[in-house]
Amino acid sequence: MLFKLQKRTLVVSQIIGYALTIFVGVTIILVTSQFYFDIKPLMSEQTDIFKNKAAVITKNISVFKTINKEKIYFTDKEINDLKSQSFTKSVSKFNTATFKINAYSNKTESVPVYYTDLFFESIPDEYLDVETEDWKWDVSLDFIPIIIPENYLNLYNFGFAESQKLPVVSKNTISQIEFNIQISGNNKSKDYKSKIVGFSNKVNSILVPEEFLFWANNEFGRLNNSKTSRVLIEFNNPSDQTILEYFNENNYSINKDELEFSKLIFFFKSALIFVFFIALVIIGLSIAFILLSLDLIIQRNKELLLNLYNIGYKHNRIAKFYQVLISATTVISIVASLVISNIIRNSYLVEISQLFEFTGNKNYILIFGISFILALTIVYNVLIVKSIKKIVIPRNEK
Amino acid sequence: MSIELQNIKPTYMSDAEISASDIYLQENVLFEKGKKYLIKANSGHGKTSILNFIYGNNTNFNGRISYNGVFRKDVFDLRKSNISYVFQDFKLFPSLTVFENIQLKNTLTNHKTVKEIEGLIEEVLLGHKKDSLVSKLSLGQKQRVAILRALCQPFEYLLLDEPFSHLDKKNIEIVTNIIVQEVDKQNSSLIMTSLDATDVLTFDKVLNL
Repeated sequence: MLFKLQKRTLVVSQIIGYALTIFVGVTIILVTSQFYFDIKPLMSEQTDIFKNKAAVITKNISVFKTINKEKIYFTDKEINDLKSQSFTKSVSKFNTATFKINAYSNKTESVPVYYTDLFFESIPDEYLDVETEDWKWDVSLDFIPIIIPENYLNLYNFGFAESQKLPVVSKNTISQIEFNIQISGNNKSKDYKSKIVGFSNKVNSILVPEEFLFWANNEFGRLNNSKTSRVLIEFNNPSDQTILEYFNENNYSINKDELEFSKLIFFFKSALIFVFFIALVIIGLSIAFILLSLDLIIQRNKELLLNLYNIGYKHNRIAKFYQVLISATTVISIVASLVISNIIRNSYLVEISQLFEFTGNKNYILIFGISFILALTIVYNVLIVKSIKKIVIPRNEK
Repeated sequence: MSIELQNIKPTYMSDAEISASDIYLQENVLFEKGKKYLIKANSGHGKTSILNFIYGNNTNFNGRISYNGVFRKDVFDLRKSNISYVFQDFKLFPSLTVFENIQLKNTLTNHKTVKEIEGLIEEVLLGHKKDSLVSKLSLGQKQRVAILRALCQPFEYLLLDEPFSHLDKKNIEIVTNIIVQEVDKQNSSLIMTSLDATDVLTFDKVLNL
């Protein structure tokens, strides 16, 4: 009877409107947050080498500089000047090996015999875009891990191997091949075992652990200090206009793609945050809408509700119908959001995994959805009882 | 239970508006259990207000009311099993039928069976209107429904606010019989308001407001 009576107080279109808007709002929030968590590792993988918007800088090489090579090195004054710029967060040098390096394979191995000159460089580990357990060096071990640019492998596979009818190799295969490194200088020489432990997309150099290079430069290197021809610069804000102006003025060369990628990530994150806030606004509006609608229903049916109270129905019992209705609508809408969000997630995971090696992150959709349900139903239940109480109980009786 | 009124005066009435009264500003007005009271006054003298003060849905009064010796203004908990009220404006739900209106109250207490309710509806000559919406009834029919609804709960006091204002003599007799039977059965008191003296019931005390 009470149900029949209170059912007539409702405006169905308002409830449906609320259900739809809360569904849309929560779905967008769930999908954008989950999407952010899913692609976060992907974004950091792509940018970690130049964590927090960084790039490699060199000096432009001109005909004049090929004659006077000293001009390609950064002086301490230039590095200090770079450090003092407002857009600079930090500056790190590339260290270069100042000793002779040869790589060669053993005759017994199934790979072609070769003997080649090499060079090594190092950068601080925090700027590396490769994560591998093998990236460690100890003076007691006769092993040097090496990271080479992914481009080198591509150059070999699609250029050299193709033209010389040699077999192509995968990253995995090449990482299995052990070869020898001989370093010499200061009338000493030493042989090491070595393997390629990773491929860098960002650093165009043959990298060894910094610790090793410091040690080896000390043992085998020429006495004069190694010179810096490349520096890593970390920016406060890569979209700062003054960066490119400064580099042009000083005739420095910057890999603009790296800066573009950082910018892209920045814009992508901004867009995601923007969509997230729009969804928050939608949810906020839908909550305000249903609370206003309820208030309107309560005001319009004030007499009916008051009569119920007068014949002995407690305000809690009168409120129960509206509490159950709004809670059920919220639960149904958010459960639908959970289902749709999971479907959307599954489809974008399939799409992205076709482009990258990608497994996604932990699924937070359920946790977020349940949190929404709990938070909203608690707020609604408290507010509905409060509104009904305000209407039915005379002020000085409270 | 007993109900006692002490120095009662509506806050919205000035002293000048209150003439000699058996209730207003009286030190002690006692409504005892098992007795029948008539509160008599002309229109606008506050008959409904007095019943509303007792029922707790109007608290705009000075003075105090005690229920079984306890002074209180929040008496909501007494509405289910101690005090029943036939409102002058009925307070029925027009979108429900006659039976549903009565049952809405009865479901709170389960005081009467469906059969008993149907019997009462027949008795007040509304059997043919049992499933009609209250919005379709005449004032006299609505008044009978309101009276039946008030009887569908246990009570120690039955408050009746001009309960027969829209009824003809025959219906007044029928309804009075039902009321008296229920009041006697529950050994409760009755407080009724009326514009003037009435002989439909025998009252233990008549109070002029």
